[in-house]
Amino acid sequence: MTLGTDYGMPHSSTEGGQLGVSLLEVDNVTVRFGGIVALDGMSFNVEEGHICGLIGPNGAGKTTMFNVVSRIYQPTTGSVRYRGQELLNVPAHGIASLGIARTFQNLALFPTMTLLDNVMVGAHSQGKVGFSRAVFRLGAAKENKATRDFAGDLLAQLGLGALAFRPAMGLPFGTLKRLEIARALAARPQLLLMDEPASGLTHGEVDELSHTIQSIRDQFNLSVLLVEHHMSMVMGISDRVVAMEFGRKIADGTPLEVQQNEAVIAAYLGTSA
Amino acid sequence: MKSLFTIREGGAANWTLRVITMVAIVGLMLYIPTKWEAGTLNTAIEGLTYMSAAMALNLVLGYTGQISIGHSAFLGIGAYTTGIMVSRWGFSPWVTFPVAFGIAFVIGVLISFPAARIKGVYLALVTLALGLVFPQLATWKKLAWITGGGSGLPIACPATGVSRSCEGTEVPTTGFNIGPKSKGQMQTFEIFGWNPFGDLRRPDNKAAFYYWIALVVAIIVYLACRGVVKSRVGRSLIAIRDNETAAAVMGVNLVRTKAFVFGLSAGLCALPGCVTAIKTGGVSPEGIINMTVRGAITFLIVMVIGGAGSLAGPVIGGALYVFVVDKTGTWADDDKIPGVLRPFFAWSEIPPGDGIFAVLLILLMFVAPRGIAGLWKQYIHRIVRVIPRPAGAIGATPAMATATATPTSNHEGEPQ
Ligand SMILES: Nc1ncnc2c1ncn2[C@@H]1O[C@H](COP(=O)(O)OP(=O)(O)O)[C@@H](O)[C@H]1O
Ligand SMILES: [Mg+2]
Repeated sequence: MTLGTDYGMPHSSTEGGQLGVSLLEVDNVTVRFGGIVALDGMSFNVEEGHICGLIGPNGAGKTTMFNVVSRIYQPTTGSVRYRGQELLNVPAHGIASLGIARTFQNLALFPTMTLLDNVMVGAHSQGKVGFSRAVFRLGAAKENKATRDFAGDLLAQLGLGALAFRPAMGLPFGTLKRLEIARALAARPQLLLMDEPASGLTHGEVDELSHTIQSIRDQFNLSVLLVEHHMSMVMGISDRVVAMEFGRKIADGTPLEVQQNEAVIAAYLGTSA
Repeated sequence: MKSLFTIREGGAANWTLRVITMVAIVGLMLYIPTKWEAGTLNTAIEGLTYMSAAMALNLVLGYTGQISIGHSAFLGIGAYTTGIMVSRWGFSPWVTFPVAFGIAFVIGVLISFPAARIKGVYLALVTLALGLVFPQLATWKKLAWITGGGSGLPIACPATGVSRSCEGTEVPTTGFNIGPKSKGQMQTFEIFGWNPFGDLRRPDNKAAFYYWIALVVAIIVYLACRGVVKSRVGRSLIAIRDNETAAAVMGVNLVRTKAFVFGLSAGLCALPGCVTAIKTGGVSPEGIINMTVRGAITFLIVMVIGGAGSLAGPVIGGALYVFVVDKTGTWADDDKIPGVLRPFFAWSEIPPGDGIFAVLLILLMFVAPRGIAGLWKQYIHRIVRVIPRPAGAIGATPAMATATATPTSNHEGEPQ
């Protein structure tokens, strides 16, 4: 599988995107589930063109953070701004057209649809044909063809071309994880949220995924917020890492800074490595 | 698995097959009204009605995964719209079709709002309530001024033009007035001077005329469903069925999409109701059983047996249903049952068509939960495999479409 030509090259933070401009600003976000405080005044920024790692032990609130940004959960306090726009006023279906796409930790695919159709739904926010135009076939065939070709290209890029016409149901976890990435890319996002894309992959596959993420970032010129437990991967490809525990930010900085942070070491020694 | 033939989507062989299928279907449609008499034509009309209603239901249930046991109400809205507009206000029946679509669409949209919030069995119960309340409402005394109450509406009284004063006048021979009128009632239906149906007072001609109306309605419903399904909206419907949260994250407006699909489904379901009203020549829940919950359940079974979530499913289901019911229609009389089957059905006091269909439903749920259309899709590729059109960088090589089990990059070692 090849993605772009320049993968493997170290990413210098001067290329792609405007340096130092915050794409996503999370400010003092609190989410409660009954008695549980899943996010407790969480704040951090994702900068344009960056891969930003978000780490923390299980239950720290990483997935909840994703669900807030993708508008599935409504926080009790705080603000989330994307390019300066308040996201908390935007409904869940309005996020994709703003340029934010995500993958899901536990897969949220459309099992009865083919891989190609899954990716085509990923491009929903890019399409225009609604009910009346569909009924009267006004431009529907043309749009179908364009979307289909685009989806086919993405599947081929992620090495899923041979499976394009198979239903998603019953395919291996690793394959479906990559399908999630292809589907998210179909929205032509500027910010891609990836929730544990490496879970269930072997060591070799994790290395390959690192390259994939970097080349996606460079090729599509996007920013990535990456939740991952594979420390070597996160530390290897992130421009910046945010560490959290119990819904709070405990460290924020370069991978090296975060790795050496006392609070982070304590949090990880207390749970899993 | 090897298949006997491999053809390309959009290739010459594929087009030949499509043309053959189209010619066969069109041929059958043309043949039916020329050779059949009123009795069998009425069965065909009934079949077309079930097909149309089941296709409309399929949009909501088969594709979007929102259960409805109340679609009979939408058919009823169509029938009453035609009945009221024609018999009370003297409109041409043709005008009533778009009006019925519009009214049912609005009601469908209104019902979708609570429906968007409730799921599964609760939605089933709410729509069931709709199906149950509709005949009650239609025959409610306080609404009798417009619906005709319990005795319903005669659809037209050509002699006087006013339904209530119809007693004692000549019974309408065609059920309604369209086209050129002579003596206040329609005797022929001419299309620019061409008279394809002959004297409409003859039952066979009349049945053929209604058959064409039912057929055109079924084709319109089919094309509307097909247009929706094969589009961006159609994919978003299946996405909602498969995973609502993911659909929303992809940008699908759940409330709006459900509202539109409920509205469209309701509107389309009203159209066969208009046809039924015209054909029956009167509108009441007793006269048109399909506007009671029984009708809704029949639509559901027809759709499920034919194949939910497939365009051909409701068509197959509707045809099979009327075929079974028609063939077994006389079986209440033991002597009419074919000898081999007599021991099984001789106890039945009423024609066992519905019962046979119910048993078929149970059997099919074990062997083919996706209905006959699903069964067809499952086995047809042993004979003909259609290689999909190329999609962008994915070329249409036989290896690609048939392979399937082995990914090109074999870095995920998991067994399939
Ligand atoms: N929908 C929910 N209902 C109740 N509790 C939840 C829900 N989602 C998450 N939580 C709780 O919030 C906390 C953070 O969970 P999560 O965000 O999934 O953590 P992480 O992704 O970092 O492992 C956990 O204690 C979890 O049990
Ligand atoms: Mg998580």
